[in-house]
Amino acid sequence: MTAALLVQSAVIGLSIGSIYILMALGLTLMFGMMHIINFAHGAVYMLGAFAIYYVYFQWGAPYFAAFVLAMLLLGAFGYLVERSIYRPIKGGVEPTLVALLALTTLLQAAGYPVFGTLDKHVPPVFSGTRNVLGVMISVERLMIIPIAGALVVGLYLFINKTRMGAAMRAIEQDKEAAALQGVNVNVINGLAFAVGFALAAAAGALMAPIFKLDPMMGEQPLLKAFIIIILGGLGSIPGAILGGLILGLIDSIVATALGAEPAFLLSFVFIILLLLWRPTGLFGHAL
Amino acid sequence: MLEVRDLKVRYGAVEALKGLSFRVSERSIVSLIGANGAGKTTSLRALTGLVQPSGGEVRFENTSLVGLAPHEIVRLGIAHVPEGRRLFPKMTVFENLKMGAYLRTSKAQMASTLAMIYEHFPILEERGRQLAGSLSGGEQQMLAIARALMSRPKLLLLDEPSMGLSPIMTAEIGKIIRQINALDVSIILVEQNAMLALTLARYGYVLQTGALVLQGDAQELLQDDGVKKAYLGL
Repeated sequence: MTAALLVQSAVIGLSIGSIYILMALGLTLMFGMMHIINFAHGAVYMLGAFAIYYVYFQWGAPYFAAFVLAMLLLGAFGYLVERSIYRPIKGGVEPTLVALLALTTLLQAAGYPVFGTLDKHVPPVFSGTRNVLGVMISVERLMIIPIAGALVVGLYLFINKTRMGAAMRAIEQDKEAAALQGVNVNVINGLAFAVGFALAAAAGALMAPIFKLDPMMGEQPLLKAFIIIILGGLGSIPGAILGGLILGLIDSIVATALGAEPAFLLSFVFIILLLLWRPTGLFGHAL
Repeated sequence: MLEVRDLKVRYGAVEALKGLSFRVSERSIVSLIGANGAGKTTSLRALTGLVQPSGGEVRFENTSLVGLAPHEIVRLGIAHVPEGRRLFPKMTVFENLKMGAYLRTSKAQMASTLAMIYEHFPILEERGRQLAGSLSGGEQQMLAIARALMSRPKLLLLDEPSMGLSPIMTAEIGKIIRQINALDVSIILVEQNAMLALTLARYGYVLQTGALVLQGDAQELLQDDGVKKAYLGL
C-alpha cells in the first residue's frame, strides 16, 4: 500500500467513521438512559436519506434546509415513538425491543410501496476534489467530517452544559433519584429519543449523495453502530466516538488493502479480541 | 400538613402496606420505626409517587398526592432522601446540589439556598469539585440531605439516614436533623435505629409487617416495655 493510498483511505475512514459515530451516539444515549436497543435506528437513517432525496433533489430545496428539516421531522418522530411505544410499555425492556423491531419492519416494508422498488440516487451536493496531504479527495466525502464533528460538539455541549442535559445524565445514573429531584423522566426520555433519531437522520442525510438509496439501506450502518457501542462500552459517549473512529478506519484501510469482506471479518475479530481483554468495552462499566 | 389515611401498597401478591394512617403537623419531626420489611421505606415511596398505592389517601396541604408523579410532588414542597442516599456518583458534589435545585430556575434563589447549605455543611463547599462517588459514607449522607434541601422543601422525608455510619457520624446527622427542623421544615424520619429516631422525634409510629401496631409521644414510646424489648435492645 502506497503512502498516498494510505492517506486516502484514512480520510475516507474518518468520514465513514463520522457517520458511524452519529449513528452510535443516539443508540448509546438511549441505552444508557433506558436500557433499550433502538432497532429502528437504521430505518430512521434510511428516512433521513430519503428526506434528502425528496426535499433537496425532487423539490429543489437547498441542501442544508433539507438536512435541518430531516433532523427536525425525524426528531419529532422520535419523541412520538417514546410517547406512543416506549412510555405505554412502562419500561418493560423486552416488550419495548419487540415493539421497536416491529416498527423497523413496518418502516422498511412501507418504504417499497412509498419510495418505489428501484434504487434511487441523489446527485452530488458538493462537487470537485481537494488536496489533502498531497492526495485528491472528493469534497463530498470530506464535508461529512466537519458537519458530523459540529453535531458531536453540539451534543457534547448540550449534555454537559444545559439543564436538560444534566437531567439526561441524572437519569442515566439513577432514574428514581432523578425523579426525586423534580425531573420529569418521561419528557427527558422523549428528548433522548428525539436527539437519537435526529442524529440518525443526519447520518442518513449525509450519506444520501454518496450511496444508492433503498428501504433496507439502514441495516448495515445499524450493525456497525451496534459493534461500536459494544466496542466503546454500552452507554458511553466517548466510547461511541472512539469506537466509531476505530471501526471507520479499519473498514476503510483494510478494505482498500485486502477487500471489503476481510475488512468486515476483521472488525468482528477486533471486537472479539477487545472484549476478551476488556469485557465491558473501552469506556464501559459493569451494568 | 400531611395526612395519610388507610394507605395500602401491593407488590404483586404481597401486601406491603395494609392500611397505614398517620399525620404530620407543621414544624414537627415524626418518626416511623420498625424492623426490616415492616413497610417503612414503602410508606415513603408511596408518599412521593415512586410506587402507586393500591388504596387509601394522602393529602398534603389540601392537595391529594395519590396518582401524582414524583416530579409533581417535589414541586409541591416535599423532598425525599431515599434509602441508600442515591447520589449521582459520576457528578461532582456541586452538580448533585444543582440537580437538587432542578425545579428552582431562579439563579438568585439558588445562590442564597446554596449559601445556606454551605453554612451548615462547610465540607460540601470544600469538596465541591469532587465526584460524589468518592465521598465517605457520612459525607455522602450530608450531600444527600443537602441535595434534598436545595429544593427548599416544607416537608423532608429521610429514609435511614444513619445506615452504615459510625456512632460519631450518626450523632452528627442527628444534630443536622435538629438544625433543619429549626428552619421550620417538617420531617418524617424512618429509622431502624429506634433510639436515634425517638430521641429526635416528637411523635412516633411503630410498624410491623405493613401495619401500625403502636403510636404515641416519642418520650412515652421510649419508656414502653414492648418497644424497649423489640427495638431498643434493652
